[in-house]
Amino acid sequence: MKNHPPLTWIALALFALPLAAAAAPTVTRLTPPSELFSNGQAAPVIARFLPGQRFDLQATVRPDDATKSITSAQFSIDGKPVDAAAALKVCEASCLKGVPANTSLATVRAVSVHKPGIHQLQVLATQSDGQTVSAVGNFEVVPLVAGGQKIKNIIIMLGDGMGAAQRTAARIVAGGYAQGKVITPLAMDTFPVTGMVKTASLNSVVTDSAPGMTAYVSGNKNNNNEEGVFPDDTIDPFDNPRIEYLSEYLHRTQGKALGLVTTADVFDATPAGNAVHTSSRGAGTGIVDQFLDDRHLTGLAVLMGGGRKWFLPSSTPGSARGDRTDYAFSSTDAHTADIVKRWGASPGSMDKDRNLLDDFQRAGFQYASDKTSLDALNLDKTDRLLGLFALSNMNVALDKMDGRRNKARGITGRVVDDYGFPDQPMLDEMTAKALKVLDRQKNGFVLMVEGASIDKQAHAMDTERWMLDTLEFDRAIALTQAYAAKRGDTLVIVTADHECAGVALIGGSRVSDARLQTLVREGGGTALRDSVVGVYEQAGFPRYRIAADGYPEAVDIDNRLLVGYGANADRMEDFRTNDRPLQDGQQPLVKKEPLSAYPAGPMARDLEGKYMVTGQVPGDSAVHTATDIPLSAFGPGAYAFTGVQDNTDVFFKLAQAAVRGVLVPGAQLRPKAGP
Amino acid sequence: MPTPTTPRNLIRWLRHNIAVVLTMGMMAASATGQTVLPADEVARQATPPVALYWKDFFQMPVGDKGLAMSERIRQAQGKEVRLVGYVVQQEVATLGKFLLTPRPVLMSQHADGEADDLPPATVFVRLAPDQRDWAVAHARGLVEVTGTLDVGRKEEPDGRISWFRMQLAPDAVRAMTRFEVTQYLHSLQHSH
Repeated sequence: MKNHPPLTWIALALFALPLAAAAAPTVTRLTPPSELFSNGQAAPVIARFLPGQRFDLQATVRPDDATKSITSAQFSIDGKPVDAAAALKVCEASCLKGVPANTSLATVRAVSVHKPGIHQLQVLATQSDGQTVSAVGNFEVVPLVAGGQKIKNIIIMLGDGMGAAQRTAARIVAGGYAQGKVITPLAMDTFPVTGMVKTASLNSVVTDSAPGMTAYVSGNKNNNNEEGVFPDDTIDPFDNPRIEYLSEYLHRTQGKALGLVTTADVFDATPAGNAVHTSSRGAGTGIVDQFLDDRHLTGLAVLMGGGRKWFLPSSTPGSARGDRTDYAFSSTDAHTADIVKRWGASPGSMDKDRNLLDDFQRAGFQYASDKTSLDALNLDKTDRLLGLFALSNMNVALDKMDGRRNKARGITGRVVDDYGFPDQPMLDEMTAKALKVLDRQKNGFVLMVEGASIDKQAHAMDTERWMLDTLEFDRAIALTQAYAAKRGDTLVIVTADHECAGVALIGGSRVSDARLQTLVREGGGTALRDSVVGVYEQAGFPRYRIAADGYPEAVDIDNRLLVGYGANADRMEDFRTNDRPLQDGQQPLVKKEPLSAYPAGPMARDLEGKYMVTGQVPGDSAVHTATDIPLSAFGPGAYAFTGVQDNTDVFFKLAQAAVRGVLVPGAQLRPKAGP
Repeated sequence: MPTPTTPRNLIRWLRHNIAVVLTMGMMAASATGQTVLPADEVARQATPPVALYWKDFFQMPVGDKGLAMSERIRQAQGKEVRLVGYVVQQEVATLGKFLLTPRPVLMSQHADGEADDLPPATVFVRLAPDQRDWAVAHARGLVEVTGTLDVGRKEEPDGRISWFRMQLAPDAVRAMTRFEVTQYLHSLQHSH
């Protein structure tokens, strides 16, 4: 045999190394997500938890060829083996496209760590030929420190899509300005503390409503469309690694109850993002089932909004229940069986014919189907309340108020008649009922109230509709503020999940409404832009007169407030209020021909004016933006919310106030005086 | 060829297969020729179709639970009906059928799965059996459709629940011309 010089051996060895590495099994995902695993960088730490907050560990491990398999996996935290066997699931056909069928997922459910600090997570997996692979990541347990007063109740007022401009517009419309000073401030403007919130999700600078909500109530970033879970490699929307919600943590440790109130369908991302764990915000049947079936985990006591279509058995016309949006955990495969065993969650079932409306009532929930029946309930004797006031999303404030004022902007009459639900409560009326029920919870509560259609109508670029929904939302805020001021043990935050549509208040109309109508008939950009849009001092101070019911007597006033959209789709614009909302994709009915009377999109309304504003985004809808949003706080613990903060920071501040007590003294309980 | 599953595949499919477009009332009228018709067809044509409106589908206002079908829609069972509505725009094309709704719907099957925005009054419209491999190009705006109505709950092959189905006659649709296909493909890229 020929003797090779030493350098040749070294060269051969170096050449062989990559080959050996390529032939080893690999860990392609390690959950909780970390930069340490993804890029080898210890910071920033991505996943953070409270001491004792539960979460799942998961690793995706690929064998080095198709004939091999992963036989075992062991997780360790800070070098100490996790005291639970990892459930191994072979992908076969259940994983995402591109993931080899013999890939395995190793999962340990419902782990918790109490010791504060940054921890190292390691997984060690063994392949069928004895080869091993390991990977490391990190996460942080955020310390809670001894503070002052412990708050009993948390109220999260979530204006979906409500950026600074939406708030300002509502203030101008509702409060009015005199020589540059606000005459009557919004309730949310009187909160003593305001900060800014960074809203990015785990996979985008532009979040949607699912991770936008869950960041506040889980302390962690989720992917867009995902609720209370980390991403995984399977197609099952209900098996993802879970993160314990604020509601679950406080129900488990303190016995607090949960209330959810929204103007949307209750399966929508924001309400679901407080109580339901799924990677698919559209999986409605499973989402509403989980509301009820896992109420022992969340403490759900109040659920109000639209969405009756998910509660009706599939044999009922109008039901949206179906197996494809449902789930049933295996009783034998530990991958999902451990969700039941270790989290104590319900196993679920494929039950499209379930009458969930009846099941809620059997579980002790009083049911209201409209405002009249809601008012008729004896809330002094009601501990659990279900209100479902529409098949899907409820009508918006402008249309509900037109209904109460008997204003026939619809096709057959009032818009609420066209939709089939003429007697829907306003958000503040629902909030008042929720507070009354939750007030009797001896251990306190977490209440989330969502002004949902601020976002939905901003998507539609329907200016007056999102403005009035912001007013409706502020009326609900005023109630919670008064409640917190009276009690002294309740922290209220007002925030949004993200901004929507890039709303900008560009000025005021230079003309009367009568003149505007003439210009609309004349048509074209010269008439409708150059003659109408008043900038700087031409804008003046638009004056809306507020009626006794709290909403503007008229929205088509002279010299009205004008709004532009920075994240807009193509739209026709005449600056006047649209008689009817755009077709809401989730609504069931249109009553009468011609159907085009309800515009199909922003290019199908305001046609007479012949003024098209070119969109900067594709499609028919304005979009969410990455812009920071304001957060205001009231009550004990409010002063923790100053500065520019990540949306996940909010969770830890809420938990600190509820678990160990407020850290920053001097929170004002009374509204600030003056505008 | 299997059903196209992405817009790109759909375009490729359309380029290699016949595409069809819905008839409007005017086109349907021009489709009648000199053919000798069987007696039952003569009788069928002698009876004008029942004009059906979306407001006829369910009782209004909605009560405290679910929807209830109207007597008028029940009586239309098995009859030839005429209905004006919107063709649902689907991300994933389905062959031999399309969905007709009272308002425009864009179905994002990839994002939403079955949790879509289809209203309860969706009509599942089927082409004639020998047109089962035809894809219906999405048409903007309202279209008028005439066919035989079938009422009642049924689970479709894709798992969806249909409450209303309509069977079209073979002459209800026709092939697109090459020019129409070109225009249609252009419209997919430029929506206005």
